[in-house]
Amino acid sequence: MTRKEKDWVIKVQMVQLQSENPHLDDYYYQEYYQKLEKKQTDEELLGRRSKFESLKLVTPYIQKAEAYESVVRIEGSLGQVAVSTCFSPRRAIDAVPHGSQDQETGAASSQRLQVLARIEKMFLQLLEIEGQKDGLPQPCSSEQWNNQIEKLFQALRTPEQNTLEEAADGFLQVLSVRKGKALVARLLPLLPQDRAVSLLLAITHHLPLLVRRDVADQALQMLFKPLGKCISHLTFHELLQGLQGLMLFPPGSSERPVTLVLQNQFGISLLYALLSHGEQLVSLESSLEEPSSDHRAWTDMVVLIAWEIAQMPTASLAEPLAFPSNLLPLFCHHVDKPLVQHLEARME
Amino acid sequence: MNYMPGTASLIEDIDKKHLVLLRDGRTLIGFLRSIDQFANLVLHQTVERIHVGKKYGDIPRGIFVVRGENVVLLGEIDLEKESDTPLQQVSIEEILEEQRVEQQTKQEAEKLKVQALKDRGLSIPRADTLDEY
Repeated sequence: MTRKEKDWVIKVQMVQLQSENPHLDDYYYQEYYQKLEKKQTDEELLGRRSKFESLKLVTPYIQKAEAYESVVRIEGSLGQVAVSTCFSPRRAIDAVPHGSQDQETGAASSQRLQVLARIEKMFLQLLEIEGQKDGLPQPCSSEQWNNQIEKLFQALRTPEQNTLEEAADGFLQVLSVRKGKALVARLLPLLPQDRAVSLLLAITHHLPLLVRRDVADQALQMLFKPLGKCISHLTFHELLQGLQGLMLFPPGSSERPVTLVLQNQFGISLLYALLSHGEQLVSLESSLEEPSSDHRAWTDMVVLIAWEIAQMPTASLAEPLAFPSNLLPLFCHHVDKPLVQHLEARME
Repeated sequence: MNYMPGTASLIEDIDKKHLVLLRDGRTLIGFLRSIDQFANLVLHQTVERIHVGKKYGDIPRGIFVVRGENVVLLGEIDLEKESDTPLQQVSIEEILEEQRVEQQTKQEAEKLKVQALKDRGLSIPRADTLDEY
């Protein structure tokens, strides 16, 4: 076999392997090879010579001559034509959107579609951010990364709207969809604390609404863990802000939001987490002699919540996802004994 | 040395003596002269080796072009260790005779087995009346 023939065979095999993003296309081999190299360098550092030099598959990074259009749309025709190559022999035509995307109608269904489209776009941004966290394809600067996170956060709040209320509205629309909840749950650990707190406060302020809208999905629980982490870093003042929204009677209703919250698993878990954190903060600040207005508000709230829990029939009280150990001592401090015993019986 | 993907790894085996096992059960021994991306092989000075028990016989065949999909496995033959075998080489006529006898005994055993099963009301579809897959 001549050299030329041998090179031709090699070329044919290599052409199939070329990739612009080997870390994406050939993840397992890249990871495996990195681990292998690391092990070998470790062994060499220890003085032992490596038993074998492992062979590396070096794929050529040949730039493709022209970007090929996998789906061709002829002007004026109704459909699309698929052009097949060895990379995509049968491209699904309808997967490539070609229609104009800014036809807006005022119908409610199109609004829901808008929300869904927003969620999809934001999810793609989130996936890119998460990918860069691990350094794939390449580690980027942390400033760039933080910028991307901030952009995603702003996208959550519908930046076109200017009022705070409408911004919250956009956020709540996202949270009403199961995928939106997953998006927020995955984004929360990446956000800086102040951003995470603003999301947490938006959630607690609209908790009854979210609970009502979650009846079909029952998916709010996925938010519990990331929110729990955020709660553990709250300041006392922020905590009070979060709880206050639950105490106020909404206009035209004789029922406090907290009543509905206690009947929902996610709601009650979040409430318990907030109370537990509050108790932790208060017990740390026990050196303060004079109770501030914040402390008085806190005491009032705890008493109110204890009363609400006592009022509620045991059957309607939801079972929390986590039961913090410092809740009963908290109630002991603020309410009288018989009530505490009553609560103990209920909460167990 | 660079790691060659796929059939390109056969390039380093070129011009060496190989033993090739085919899907129909034949064993070929020859010098690997040429390959392509489907692992089609060109074997030079090929010999078809028939094994029966501890005996074997070689039939010289010349040049073979084998379609890649029919190869089960192939391996390089170490020329120094090649003659170091407990097997006994016999003439072609003898080995063909041995093979025929072996085939016959197998067929008779098979016939008895099928008859025994038929007596019990069972039937096993015979391999030669079926497709390979």
